[in-house]
Amino acid sequence: MDSFTYVNIFETKGLEYVLLLCFWALFVYLVRYLSSPAKKRKDLNR
Amino acid sequence: MVHFVIQEMKPRGPWLTPFNIISIPVILTGLVILYFRFVYGLGSVTNLSQDTAWGLWLGFDVVTGVALAGGAYVITFVVYVMKVEKYHSIVRVTVLNGLLAYSFYAGALLLDIGRPWHAFNPYIGNSFGFSSVLFLICWHFLLYMVAEFIEFSPVVAEWLHWEKARRILKRLTLTTVILGITLSLLHQSGLGALFLMAKPKIHPLWWSEFLPILFFVSSIYAGLAMIIFEGTVSHKVFRDLIDPKSHHSFDDIIFGLAKGAAIGMFVYYFLKALLFIHDKQWTLISDGWGYWYLLEVIGFVLVPGFMFAFGFRNRSLKTIKVAAVMALLGVVLNRLNVSIISFNWYSQAHYYPSWQEIVVTLTVIFTEIWVFRWVVTRMPVFTSDHRAR
Repeated sequence: MDSFTYVNIFETKGLEYVLLLCFWALFVYLVRYLSSPAKKRKDLNR
Repeated sequence: MVHFVIQEMKPRGPWLTPFNIISIPVILTGLVILYFRFVYGLGSVTNLSQDTAWGLWLGFDVVTGVALAGGAYVITFVVYVMKVEKYHSIVRVTVLNGLLAYSFYAGALLLDIGRPWHAFNPYIGNSFGFSSVLFLICWHFLLYMVAEFIEFSPVVAEWLHWEKARRILKRLTLTTVILGITLSLLHQSGLGALFLMAKPKIHPLWWSEFLPILFFVSSIYAGLAMIIFEGTVSHKVFRDLIDPKSHHSFDDIIFGLAKGAAIGMFVYYFLKALLFIHDKQWTLISDGWGYWYLLEVIGFVLVPGFMFAFGFRNRSLKTIKVAAVMALLGVVLNRLNVSIISFNWYSQAHYYPSWQEIVVTLTVIFTEIWVFRWVVTRMPVFTSDHRAR
């Protein structure tokens, strides 16, 4: 009986691709987060 | 003219300030130590050995100091190439900081070379050493210092009331800025390339074939964090020299710098993570070195990166200033880890800097601050328009 061979993402480049996808997704989110109108200034104590 | 310069050389302001009381004894002690260093050699005042040839003077003064001076090329690029006028008011002080940092920290390289007179060989052709990364770094340091001086020279001409010279020098600015940016890109990464050949000696968590890129990317946010830190201190200490409009606009400048730093740290963090996974370093993070690495990458890159973004979004100056200090500590930690702490990590005999090395390092820093203070209290550094004074 044939046994299953699971792909080990730690041994392949799978995890690197996942990380890159996360990077681009989060980068877009970060740019949008930093580009949206800022909240009211909390401290201008000078 | 001579009379004017002599007048300007005279000290101003009170002598008994906390900074003077601390710095003068340190500088005097440092000069005495340097006398012994040059007369009796490196071994008389340092803990350097044949196994550990590079110590605190190179690891902190040169490798770290140059990274922290990265703000000059970032800001001149933003102002003169990208034409973002918002940051124009900090160009002069940032360029001055860059010029002094390179003059003192790159100059400190001479202290760490066993035979410092050989440092001129790559320039005068007595064995150029084309195949060495140091050849690139030597020439870039020299050319960049010249470029920075030309960028700053309109301020000197303005101080000396040389109007014609100022106009001519001002025309050279864009050319020297482009030259300076090109040089910076290469020698910031070149400092990382210096350690490529030390693969067997540096702990695998810190060595990577992408060290040049990591050094370059981290120099961007290190420079921005340094501008925030130095600008905040300057706006307190030299408050009388800065017009009130600049005080107010500096807050907006800080927010802009924080935004840039947040993006820079985000990119750097993911580069580190990618290299960590690519090199399959999972097994290395379960011991003391691993925890130390995680502290650097998470505690002093990821956390301040989030703080910059949070501080920008919520307009919190305090958060941004704390993040700037943490980011600076992170860069210092990273450079020291690569050049000193994880160097010869497997060896039983670890290198610790001697007290003389620490005093000389403080001497370099304090002397730079003295020169910075002398320049800003005499030359129109905190104003962007010479007619405003």
